[in-house]
Amino acid sequence: MKKGVIALISMMMSVVLLAGCGAKPAAESGGSNGGDAPKANFKVGMVTDAGTIDDKSFNQGTYEGIVKANADFKMEYKYLKPAGTTEADYSKEIGNLYDAGFKFIVTPGFKFETAIFRAQDKFTDAKFVLIDGIPHSGEENAEPVVKENTVSIYFAEHEAGFLAGIAAALHVKDGQAGFIGGMKIPPVEKFNWGFQQGVNYANENLGTKLVINKENVVYQGSFDDVAAGSQLAAQMYDRGVNVIFAAAGGVGVGAINEAKTRAQNGSEVWVVGVDVDQYEDGVYEGDKSVILTSAVKKVDQAAYDMIKAEIEGKFPGGQSITIDAKNDGVGLPEKNPNLSEDIIKQVNEVFDKIKSGDIKVAGEKGDLID
Amino acid sequence: MDYVVEMVGIRKEFPGIVANDDITIRLKKGEIHALLGENGAGKSTLMSILFGMYQPDRGMIKVNGREVRISNPNVANRLGIGMVHQHFKLVEPFTVTENIILGSETRKYFFGLDIRTAAKRVEQLSQRYGLNVDPYAKIENISVGMQQRVEILKMLYRDAEVLIFDEPTAVLTPQEINDLQEIMRKLVSEGKSIILITHKLKEIKAVADRCTVIRRGKTIGTVDVAETSREEMAEMMVGRSVSFTVDKTEGHPGDVVLEIESLNVKNSKKVNALKSFSLNVNAGEILGIAGVDGNGQTELVEAITGLRPIESGTVVLKGKKLNGLSIRQRNNSGIAHIPEDRQKRGLVLDYTLEENLILEVYNQPPYSKRGLLRSEAISQHADHIIQSFDVRSGTGGSSIVRSMSGGNQQKAIIGREVERDPDLLIAVQPTRGLDVGSIEYIHKRLVEQRDKGKAVLLISLELDEVLNLSDRIAVINNGELVGIVKSSETNERELGLMMAGYRKEEAAHE
Amino acid sequence: MNNSIKSLLAVLFGLIAGAILMLVTGHNPIEGYMYLIQGGLKNPERIGNTLATATPLVLTGLSVAFAFRTGLFNIGAAGQMLFGGFCATAIGLSLDLPRGILLPLMILIGFVGGALWAVIPGFLKAKYNVHEVVSTIMMNWVAYWTVYYVVPAYFKGASLETESRQLPPDAMLHQQWLSDLFQGSYVNLGFFIAIIAVLIVAFIINKTTLGYELKAVGFNRHAAEYAGIAVQRSIVLSMFISGGIAGLAGVAQYTGNASSIQIGILPTQGFDGIAVSLLGANTPLGVFASALFFGLLYSGRGFMNAMTEIPPEIADSIIAIIIYFAATSILIERLIHKLKVRRIANKKQGEQDHVDNA
Repeated sequence: MKKGVIALISMMMSVVLLAGCGAKPAAESGGSNGGDAPKANFKVGMVTDAGTIDDKSFNQGTYEGIVKANADFKMEYKYLKPAGTTEADYSKEIGNLYDAGFKFIVTPGFKFETAIFRAQDKFTDAKFVLIDGIPHSGEENAEPVVKENTVSIYFAEHEAGFLAGIAAALHVKDGQAGFIGGMKIPPVEKFNWGFQQGVNYANENLGTKLVINKENVVYQGSFDDVAAGSQLAAQMYDRGVNVIFAAAGGVGVGAINEAKTRAQNGSEVWVVGVDVDQYEDGVYEGDKSVILTSAVKKVDQAAYDMIKAEIEGKFPGGQSITIDAKNDGVGLPEKNPNLSEDIIKQVNEVFDKIKSGDIKVAGEKGDLID
Repeated sequence: MDYVVEMVGIRKEFPGIVANDDITIRLKKGEIHALLGENGAGKSTLMSILFGMYQPDRGMIKVNGREVRISNPNVANRLGIGMVHQHFKLVEPFTVTENIILGSETRKYFFGLDIRTAAKRVEQLSQRYGLNVDPYAKIENISVGMQQRVEILKMLYRDAEVLIFDEPTAVLTPQEINDLQEIMRKLVSEGKSIILITHKLKEIKAVADRCTVIRRGKTIGTVDVAETSREEMAEMMVGRSVSFTVDKTEGHPGDVVLEIESLNVKNSKKVNALKSFSLNVNAGEILGIAGVDGNGQTELVEAITGLRPIESGTVVLKGKKLNGLSIRQRNNSGIAHIPEDRQKRGLVLDYTLEENLILEVYNQPPYSKRGLLRSEAISQHADHIIQSFDVRSGTGGSSIVRSMSGGNQQKAIIGREVERDPDLLIAVQPTRGLDVGSIEYIHKRLVEQRDKGKAVLLISLELDEVLNLSDRIAVINNGELVGIVKSSETNERELGLMMAGYRKEEAAHE
Repeated sequence: MNNSIKSLLAVLFGLIAGAILMLVTGHNPIEGYMYLIQGGLKNPERIGNTLATATPLVLTGLSVAFAFRTGLFNIGAAGQMLFGGFCATAIGLSLDLPRGILLPLMILIGFVGGALWAVIPGFLKAKYNVHEVVSTIMMNWVAYWTVYYVVPAYFKGASLETESRQLPPDAMLHQQWLSDLFQGSYVNLGFFIAIIAVLIVAFIINKTTLGYELKAVGFNRHAAEYAGIAVQRSIVLSMFISGGIAGLAGVAQYTGNASSIQIGILPTQGFDGIAVSLLGANTPLGVFASALFFGLLYSGRGFMNAMTEIPPEIADSIIAIIIYFAATSILIERLIHKLKVRRIANKKQGEQDHVDNA
């Protein structure tokens, strides 16, 4: 009897707690009409990939782009969270958005490729933005098909990785670097390859001696195993690694945690963040952060731009767009408190050379470490 | 009249039942007062109220003439009421003294305990009441009887004036029972008062001054033990006249059915529980095994039935060696087993009665065919047993066994085992915890089985039961066979000595 | 009180609790539930999707329930499902056989794969008394990493990264007439596998000597041993069947609801199976009904999200609360049981005294 009462109380507590948590997003979601900017006559929907809306990565970036667009254009918007990660799960949520009148649908992640492939045929009066992927049937050797109502967006992650490599090499000068990836998927691989090329470029042209050993390039295999991230980072630092590029979501958080612990104990270790500016995540004392810099891809900008294009009647339907250094879609954060003026200057020079095509960063493995 | 404890008009109701209904019991100073009743009559509830574990709904408790409210056992302790529980509450690796002071350690010494002073006091108490306990002995090294005395000492150490003994003889040998009774007399002569909870009339006759009988939560009456016969008290307890002897004719033993030859078996602690044990059981006889609990009886039964591996030696049933056979093979060879713990071994409590009645034969025709259960045959079988063994339950065969009374559960097991028509029926504690009526019935059935020419191996801790039912009695002590006697040629005293390990000849000389 | 009433009560409590949460967060519960139900049942396509969502849940629920009836807590349905689904997918990708042979073979191999995954903990339990909760959880991760390694190494699709190649149409449970019947839903033959599994398990549990043995072991190991039932063998067998059913869930999920197997994810259905089983009172038909209910929740949630201002996190919480309460049907049962036992015990005493005195 007593146990029952306790159970009941705890249930009620959890209701209250959940309610507390829930209040904020409820207030945030949804937009209002009015204002003097060009007004959107469509509703923007988003389906999240696996993970939460505040994943400091893709979901969050995309969502922030939509929120930003709302600030300017006051369109209604909403995101849905699929129950699983199969095509059926994604398709169901796309259908739900469509049925509810959200006919401008943004989906982050290559896992949406097959779902968008079917949705673009099924919902011909809707528009789709697929970030980090291109629609295809999923069958063997299937050709990508981007219909008139769809835009596919790629990022040149290798270029961001390249710049991060340059910055890391210039800062450490003489030492070792490591890489921790999440799952071994193209965007993560491209970060890795770009990073290695950047380090190599700096060693060859800028007088640094940053070594990347084979055992210090690791894909953990997931994006959420924080403990494993700490462990991998600890091993690398123990092997004498000075800076780790962590393109691994939650696993990267683990690596950052390990670096923070070590930094607090006085050793100088660094992490290079990914996707967004992760400086804040690496703060361990006052405003000191273990995040040297971050290899950023501006997902939010991409989402914003597409919404804007649609409002202006310039939706680039049928196209596959690659966002790279040329259109300022990838790079390092605007502020890098841990990098010296001089380094920033040199990085910017390299950045310009990438833009101008003087430096070509390969998006393939080549003879780099896998 | 000065009463030390008075419980007047006590009523205690639990959801759906009145456990105590207007019960009155008055304990005089310096008397042994028996509380007699069948299982479930309300004895435990009443004593739990006195000990502060339940609050009565109505009624009044007076201690030394003053009305009190006993809200928890600590209050009871402070009022000088102590309880010697049926299951001892002792810490085995601790010494006697450590156990006694546990929970009331001398507090003025902040560090460490003043064991020596405590031990001295234990020693004094022990001498004064003739308990003969070594204060420095470890519990695990002393006998069960001695452990019980430690429990008594615990109460005395806490200055208990009123001692409640809850079924104190269940675990003792006859000699130990005598010793205990001696101690109880000594206690009252020193001014203590005792409430003795029991359902054994013989003990009441032996030691109690007065006896309060309760039945179905009500006081039937309080009698002067010296002036009341056993039969009268029994009738008060169960509400009708009861016969104490088992009607049975002389047995006609036939061929050997079970042969056990120098059997060695280890118990769960990997210690030898049976040592070169040999025994024969014949057709047409009941062979009783007498012994104090934990002397290898359980292991013997498990070795025969296959529940426990045999280290060495042989078990032969009707010329067929059982060693290495599975439990099922042994069952099918003609062994039936009424297990010691009916709820643990004998029944699947959440199965229906029907399902329980085919527990060993569910995979045999007619109850199943090609792996499919045949419900018609199963219910017929159940109906048959229910009728011929008078198994009573709420909805017949479809009753969930958990909802049935202990007596009816036991009848169901006995019906199931007897109906299998075994060559050897092993009955372990077949009447434990049952009321007088069920006991009579079960005894009759066991004798019937013998008269049909079957072998019956009876293991019981109730010496009366062994004596009354058996044709021959094998006494077991510490895993060894002490001797085999004819029940017609022995008596309780001799058996008691043998149970304590004396050989038959020695016992005769004692 | 009968089991289904208990479960319905639990569901009712869950819905009330969910409604309270909606109210507290400033949403209209009636509207919310209306869209939730519409989302699951509004049109044939949505009904079909609900059935498809429920399919793996029926099977994992059945798997957990079956083990539970034998007294085993199979927490590893996720791993068994993953591995069973993987085995079936591997067959589907490797063998070029006519559909009529390939599908039954895949189902069989899927069953065996899941079964093998559960037999290991079953064996450890029977032989060395290793607790199955621990070993099944560990097997989950063994399955996770096995698939993680093997799929990219041997079954990688050219254009798919975290998935195997897509199964050819003949190796999928997808059936055109069924999709057409439900107007383009992804419901597939897996649903029939689930129904057949429910019927078979119900039959085994209630009508066969095998079911009798397994239940006896589950209720009371000691009594089963006493009766001559091979307890250890029963444990292994029960885990075999339980794992096999979970394997079928994998077949339904990866070759029916999806068309390839994904790496880096343990199917959530494996864990939901525990709740499904609890709500279904561990009976096959109960599991079926409760899986449909769960399917409705999961399937309708997105539409509720889309049509109202309830954000996905709150929607998730609502679903979780409903499930939480639903799964506590066992608590309700305990409560009732406690009261009942006390009453029976007391009544019994009374009756017994009557009987004996008669």
